[in-house]
Amino acid sequence: MRQRERLNPNELRELDAIDRALAGEPVDADLSELEDLALDIRASAPEMTPAFAAALEQRVNEGFPTQGQNTPPRQRRRWMLVPAAGVLATVAIALVAVVGPSGNEESTVHETAMSARTEPGAALEDSAPSAAAPPTSTDGSLQRRQSESKSPPMAAAPALTHTGASGSRSTPAAAANPGASAADGAASRKVQRNALLVLEAPDGKVESTADAVIRTVDRFGGIVQSSSIGSSDATGGEASFDLRIPTGKLDVALAALSELGHVAERSQNLQDITGSFSSAQDRLADARAERRGLLRALGRATTSLQIESLRSRLRLVRSTIARLDGQLDSLRRRADLSTVQLTVRGGGKSDEGAAGGHWTPADAARDALRVLEVIAGVALIALAIALPLTLLGVAIVLGVRLGRRRRREGALDAA
Amino acid sequence: MDAHHQNTSTLSFDALYRESGRDLYAYVRTLLGDDASAEDVTALAFERAYRKRASFDAGRGSQRGWLFGIARNAALDELRRRKRSAPLVADVADDELPVAAEEAETAVRRSTVRVALAALPPRERELIALKFHAGLSNVELAAVLGTSESNAGTRVHRAVMKLREACNAPA
Repeated sequence: MRQRERLNPNELRELDAIDRALAGEPVDADLSELEDLALDIRASAPEMTPAFAAALEQRVNEGFPTQGQNTPPRQRRRWMLVPAAGVLATVAIALVAVVGPSGNEESTVHETAMSARTEPGAALEDSAPSAAAPPTSTDGSLQRRQSESKSPPMAAAPALTHTGASGSRSTPAAAANPGASAADGAASRKVQRNALLVLEAPDGKVESTADAVIRTVDRFGGIVQSSSIGSSDATGGEASFDLRIPTGKLDVALAALSELGHVAERSQNLQDITGSFSSAQDRLADARAERRGLLRALGRATTSLQIESLRSRLRLVRSTIARLDGQLDSLRRRADLSTVQLTVRGGGKSDEGAAGGHWTPADAARDALRVLEVIAGVALIALAIALPLTLLGVAIVLGVRLGRRRRREGALDAA
Repeated sequence: MDAHHQNTSTLSFDALYRESGRDLYAYVRTLLGDDASAEDVTALAFERAYRKRASFDAGRGSQRGWLFGIARNAALDELRRRKRSAPLVADVADDELPVAAEEAETAVRRSTVRVALAALPPRERELIALKFHAGLSNVELAAVLGTSESNAGTRVHRAVMKLREACNAPA
């Protein structure tokens, strides 16, 4: 318990007399008793035994060599490594948190092949699994996600090719030559292929890239169904194309188109329309057979009523045949010409884009800035994690110290 | 640490030991009340001070006050250990037989002081030991106790008055 009362002048005088007595200075005569008491207390101080004094002096001279239970300070302070390890772990977590996502958004190319829709009753045969052909599920769905830092080589494209080779899996050779296998498969199975391709072109290169797209489409015998090219200072412009590419040349065409810019996104979609095609064919055959029968019946008809009725039915059957012919033509076109939705966006990188630019000092500056951003992010996250932990640690340390001090002081009261 | 610095440091600690060794023992012995514990705690305090000598900050007080702070912690830890085990009966120092009458009077007076001091509560006994046996100034005493200089002076005065009353009390 602290005593905070102030001393009165007389008490201060007595205290001063004690200090003077201990210092060997003269003390006022009326305080000689206090002087004697101070000197007696001083003189009654316990003294070391000579043996202990000698032993202690020797240990001091030897620098207190470590022995037995006296563990070296380094060992005793190993607990201090725990917070250091905690800080390191915090930084590592922050690094993963920052670099992980940022690395993905930096230069990621998604190539997603959406599930191939199959019509009821239509089984889709896939290419044989290989390094270039990821496994596909038996129901004909195909899922593929690929991240690349540059335009993906079209050697991967065969993986997306569903050959539909009449009940047999394509051979590795066929997988290596997807265009041929697709063409062969088209003879027996009807597969509609759709592709989505997003290219990033350097600023100011959108129009020239769009021109290159058209040239490429022409080269492969494709059609530009529709196109729109817009320019914007803010985004660098954008061009959209709705293309029809011969299915047999789709893979090589996509490869050529992908080389025109930085591939930001690419996806392919397969749809087996064999069922629809076969159904239309069957219904057409039935309709034609019905027409032949009606024509024969018309030849045998004797009454005007019978003739009128048969002619009326013949008109309906002809209409049905015409409609089914149209459906079959449409399905053939869907199978023969693949749809490609192509978008060319401005604002792409000129260095890593397929334009083939060189790494310039400006790019280096951008990279350096990015590195600094990542470092700052890591530091910020580490700080956000470490600061509360540090405050908590400091509070715990202070609490432990205070508790230890109180327990020590309590020993005086209990002694 | 280079050899020169280590040598300087050792010399400095050696000087501290020579200046404070006996006073430290006297303080610890008065606080604990027995020779064996006092020797152990004194040796432990010097060893701790030696190991921590690099952490001494002259801006936070004198080296002597720092040393007595370490000794106080070690002594209080010893008291806590003792509390958990059996209490120890304080040793009573053997007074030498007086030769002359004047010396006899002094011896009796000092014996009275020792007995009265041993009978004081530990907090007062510690204050007396720090002030008279260790020879700490009020500033150093305040640093060791973790209080203000004026508060340390007040507590010392009250402890001395208690001791004086105990010495003057009829046997």
